[in-house]
Amino acid sequence: MAQVDRRPKGHPHSLEKARGLSLGIGLLKGMAVTIRHLFSHNSVIQYPDERQDLSPRTRGVIALKEENCTVCMLCARECPDWCIYIDSHKETLPPKREGGRQRKRNVLDRFAIDYALCMYCGICVEVCPYDALFWSREFEYAEYDIRELTHEKERLSDWMATVLPPPPLEEGALLPGMPEPDLPAPSPPASPTVEATGAQPPTTTASAVEARPEQAAIAPKAPAAMEQETKATDVPEAPRLEAPEPAAPAATPEEPQAPTPNVTVPHEARRPVALERTEDPEQVYQQVLEEQIAKGSSRQVAEARAKVARVKAERGIKRGPTPVQVDKPVPSAPTKGQPAEPEASGAPEATEPKPEQGPVKPTKKED
Amino acid sequence: MATTEGRVTREVEEVVEEVSTGQLATQEMILNVGPQHPATHGVFRLLATIDGEVLTNAEPVIGYMHRGYEKLVEARDYRQITNLVSRMDWLSGINNELPLALAIEKLMGLDVPPRAQYLRVILCEMNRILNHLMFFASFGAELGAITPTFYAFREREDIQYVMESVTGGRMHFGFFRPGGLKEDVPRGFYSAALAAVRQVIDRLWHYEDLLVGNEIFKGRTIGVGVLDKEAAYSYGVTGPIARGSGIDMDVRKDEPYLVYDQFDFDVPTGPNGDCFDRFWVLVHEVVESARIVEQAIEGIPSGAVMGKVPRVIQAPEGEVFVRTENPLGELGMYLVSDGDRRPYRLKIRTPSYNNVSALPAVLKGTLVADMIAILGSFFFVLGDIDR
Amino acid sequence: MDSIILAATEIRLGPINFIATDWWIFALKLVVILTVVPVGALVGGYALHKELGHLQHRLGPMYAGGFHGWAQTLADGLKFIYKEDIIPARADKPVFSLAPAVIFVPIVMLFLVIPVDRSLIVEDLDVGIFYLLAIGSVGVIGVLMAGWSSSNKYALIGALRSAAQLIAYELPIVLTAASVAMLAGTLSLVGIVEAQDWPFILWPPGLGLLLFLIFMVGAIAEMAIPPFDMPVAESEIITGPFTEYTGMRFIFGFFFAEMAHIVAFSAIASTLFLGGYKPIVPWGPLDVIPGIVWFMGKLVVMFFVLIWIRFTFPRLREDQLQSFAWKFLIPVSLILILVTGAWVLYAPESIWPR
Repeated sequence: MAQVDRRPKGHPHSLEKARGLSLGIGLLKGMAVTIRHLFSHNSVIQYPDERQDLSPRTRGVIALKEENCTVCMLCARECPDWCIYIDSHKETLPPKREGGRQRKRNVLDRFAIDYALCMYCGICVEVCPYDALFWSREFEYAEYDIRELTHEKERLSDWMATVLPPPPLEEGALLPGMPEPDLPAPSPPASPTVEATGAQPPTTTASAVEARPEQAAIAPKAPAAMEQETKATDVPEAPRLEAPEPAAPAATPEEPQAPTPNVTVPHEARRPVALERTEDPEQVYQQVLEEQIAKGSSRQVAEARAKVARVKAERGIKRGPTPVQVDKPVPSAPTKGQPAEPEASGAPEATEPKPEQGPVKPTKKED
Repeated sequence: MATTEGRVTREVEEVVEEVSTGQLATQEMILNVGPQHPATHGVFRLLATIDGEVLTNAEPVIGYMHRGYEKLVEARDYRQITNLVSRMDWLSGINNELPLALAIEKLMGLDVPPRAQYLRVILCEMNRILNHLMFFASFGAELGAITPTFYAFREREDIQYVMESVTGGRMHFGFFRPGGLKEDVPRGFYSAALAAVRQVIDRLWHYEDLLVGNEIFKGRTIGVGVLDKEAAYSYGVTGPIARGSGIDMDVRKDEPYLVYDQFDFDVPTGPNGDCFDRFWVLVHEVVESARIVEQAIEGIPSGAVMGKVPRVIQAPEGEVFVRTENPLGELGMYLVSDGDRRPYRLKIRTPSYNNVSALPAVLKGTLVADMIAILGSFFFVLGDIDR
Repeated sequence: MDSIILAATEIRLGPINFIATDWWIFALKLVVILTVVPVGALVGGYALHKELGHLQHRLGPMYAGGFHGWAQTLADGLKFIYKEDIIPARADKPVFSLAPAVIFVPIVMLFLVIPVDRSLIVEDLDVGIFYLLAIGSVGVIGVLMAGWSSSNKYALIGALRSAAQLIAYELPIVLTAASVAMLAGTLSLVGIVEAQDWPFILWPPGLGLLLFLIFMVGAIAEMAIPPFDMPVAESEIITGPFTEYTGMRFIFGFFFAEMAHIVAFSAIASTLFLGGYKPIVPWGPLDVIPGIVWFMGKLVVMFFVLIWIRFTFPRLREDQLQSFAWKFLIPVSLILILVTGAWVLYAPESIWPR
C-alpha cells in the first residue's frame, strides 16, 4: 500500500499543532516559498508563439470523411444539441447485372456542423457506424461572424488532414481480437483482425498498419505471451516516473515548437517497424489474391487485400488470415439473393422536434 | 410651533434616555452581496442584514443559474445526459457522471468489469484533486493572498493534461458509459498520472505553508464561521464542510461503491467547524485522493473496459437512488424509468444546495469582514446549486 | 559629482546676480524631481508586475513595447488618459477633483529631501525627518476628501477605515524615526546618512533591526499594501475611497500615488536604516562605487522586499489591524525610544562615538 505523504521535515502533522501558536515563523516560511519560485523555471507557454502539444484525443474540431458517410443520420439524431444539419437525396443506379433490382444510393448534399451550438461531446463521432467522423485537435477557428462557425462539408473535409491516429492503449487494455485474460487460450480468431477494426482513420491502409505494429503482432498470440511482451515494453516507461520535469522548449524562429508539458503522455510515433521477413512478399500477394477470390470477393477487393498482405510481409509484420464476413457482405460483392445494403431512410424518427435547419449557404448545387 | 417643539423635545428626551441606558437604537441596513460580486463563486446573491458591523441575518438567494436540468434530461437519452450532467458541478466533471452510470447499471443489472471500475476510481479521484485545488486557490484569493491561486492552477494544469489525454476534454469529459468507460486509456497514462499526482503532493506542502501555516491566515480563519455539528446534520451538509464540523461521514467508506473498499485511505475531519478546519480537511483530502490513485494504478487489472451492454441502453421500469461522494459532498441521483431510452424522471440531489442552505446559521452574528472568508470556505459551485 | 554642482552654482549670467542663479538651480532640481518621480513610478510599476509574475511562476508583461513588455505601465497610463472623466452628480465637485492631488503631491514632495548622493539633493533641510513625517501625513486628508465627496456610502466607509489605519500606523513610523534621529543626533537626512558608518540596521545590534522592522511594518500600512490593504481591497467594494474615480484622477490618486509611495518609502528606509548613499559596510575598496549606485541598489532591494511581502500574505482584518497597531507596535516603539535614549546616553564611547 503506497504511502503518499511526503511532507517536509518539521511539518505539523496534526490539526491541533497547525492551529497552535507559531509566532511569526509561518510568515517567514511563506516568504521562503514565494522566493523559491522566483528562481525556478516558469511554466508559461507563450501562446501564440508557442503551443502546447495536445493529445490525439483532444476534442478540438470534428472532421468529416465524406466517402464513408452513407447518410444514415445517426449523428444528427444523437446530437444532444441538434447542431448537425444533413441534407441528402436518393439516387437510383442501374442494376449490377441485367434484370436485377435497381440500386438506391443516398447522396450527401449538405453536411454541416454548427460549432456555435456544438458542445463537443463526441457522441456523433462515437455513434457513426461507418467511421465518417473523426476528432481533430485543432481549436483555432474562432470567427468574427457567428454564421461562419457553421462548417460545411468542404471545410469539414479539410479538417481530415489534421486528424491523428488514435494513440496505442495502455498495457492491460483489451485489444480487438484478444480474448479476455481469464479465458483459456483460444483457437486462431475468426473475428476481425487489425485491418477491420476501423477505429483508425484510414488515411492510408499502410499507416493504419504502421500505427499499431506491436498490436498487430500481438493479436494472434496466446495471452501469457502477450502479457510478457507488454511488461517488457513497460521498462522504458519506468524512468519517466522519476523525471516529471519538463524538457526545455526547443523554440526555433521559423517553426514554433511546442515545449513539452510537465507531464508527458508519450504518443506512439508513426514509424514502420521492420522485423525480419519470413516469407516472400510476391508469393503472399498471389496467395492472398487466390484466397480472396475463392471466398467470393470481387476482383478489386481481392487485389487490395493482397496488396496489404504484401506490404505486411515486406515489413515482416505477422498477419492473420483475412476473412470475409459473410453476414455483412461487402457492397460490391455479387449478391447471393440477399439485399446488398441496409435500408436507410433519409428522414430521422419523428420522436423529437425536428432539427432546425440552419441557413443553407449558397453552394455550387443548383436544385 | 408648539406641537413641533413638543415633538422635538420628546425626541430629544427619548434619545437622552436611550443613550443613558445604553440602548442606542441603530437602524439595520440590508447589504446586497449581489449576483455580481468578485467574492462569490458565480451568480450568487446574499441578502445580508447588517447592524453596524455585525450580520444579523443572511439569506442566500439562488436560482440565477437554473438551467432546468431535470426537465432537459427527460428528453435525452442516457449518453446525452452523461454529457450534460458534467456541467453541473463543473469543477468535478467526471464525478457527476458517475452516479448516473451507477444508477443505470443498477437498474439494468449490468456488470462493470474490474478494470473499468479501477479506471473510474482513478479518474474520479484525480478530479477530486482538481476540485480541491481550485478551492484552495479561490479561498486564498478571497482572503487577499493571490499567489497561491497561481500555484494551484499550475498544478491543476498537469492533472488536466493527463485527463485530456484520456478523455479529450479538460473540464467536461463525457467519458463514463453505463457498463464501463467509453474507451481505454492511452499508453503512458499510468506513468503520467502517477507523476502528475506525485508532483502535486510534493508541492502541496509548500503551498500549504503559504496559507495554513501563515499567522495572518490563521487569525482570519480560526474561530471564524463556526458551523456546529447539529446545524450541519439538520441542514444536510455533507462533504468537506461537514467533515470540518466533526461529522465523520464519507460515502466512499460508509457505502462503498466501485472498488473503494479495496483501498486504504483515511477521511480527514476537523472537530472545530471553523474556516480553518474546513480548509485543513480540503488540503488533506487531496493527499488521500493521491493515495487512492497510487494504489489503484498499482493494482489495476487487465481486461475490458466495457461490460456486456445491449446496443440501445433502455433501463427497465423501476426506480433507483444512488449516492456517491462528489468532491463537494454527497451527490445523489434518483432515477425513475419507464422502460424507455430516456428517463421518466431524474432527480438530482446536489451537495452545494444543502451546503449553501446552512449559510444563515453560520453567518448570523459574524462580522462583515468575516463574511467573505466564510463564503470562501463554504465550497460551493453555482451550477451545482441551481442545476 | 560634487565639483560639478559647485561649479554650476558659480555660473554667473553676466549682470544677473547670485540670487538669480540660485533660483535657476532650484528650478532645475524641481524639474528633475517632477520628471523623475513619475518615471520612477512607471518603472516601479513595471518592476512590480515583473516581480509579481516571476514570484507566481509566470512571466509578467511580455508584449507591450516589444522587449519583455517594458512599456506596459506606460501603455496603461496612456490608456487611462483616454478614459471618460465621470464625476457623480451628487458629489462635491471641488473636493472630489482636488482629492487625488492632495494625495499625490505630498508624495512627490517627499522626494525633495532624500539624498541620492552627498550633494544630489533638492534641499537639505535641517528638519529633514520632521518634514518627511509631516508631509507624509497630509495624504490622510486626501483620502478622507475622496471618500466623503463621492456621495457613496461604501466609499465613505472605506475612507474612514483607511483614515483610521493611516493614523494608527503613523505613530510607529514617527516614533521609530525619532529613535533614528536620536541615534544620528540630527534631523537632517544628510546628517543621518553621514552618521551611519555602519548602517543602523546592523549597529546598534538588535536595536537597529527592531527599529527597522517596526518602521517597515508601519510603512507597509501607510501605503495600504497587503497585508494591510483592507481599505482598498475589501470594503464591500473594490477600491474603497476611490470607487467613484475614473481616468487620470484614479491613476494619480491611486495607482501612481501607490507606486510613488513605495519608491519613496524604499528610499526613505534605505536612507534611515541602510546607509543611504554610503557603502553598506565601511570597507575602503567599496568607496570606488559612486554613492548614487549604492543608493539605487539599496532602493531596489527595499522595493523588492516590499513587493515580495505584498504578494505573499493574505489581508489582515480591520480590527486585527488596529489592535496590532495600538496594542503592539506603538507600545513597543515607545519602549524602543527609551532604549535608544539609554543607548545614546550611556553606551561607552568606544562602541558608540558621539
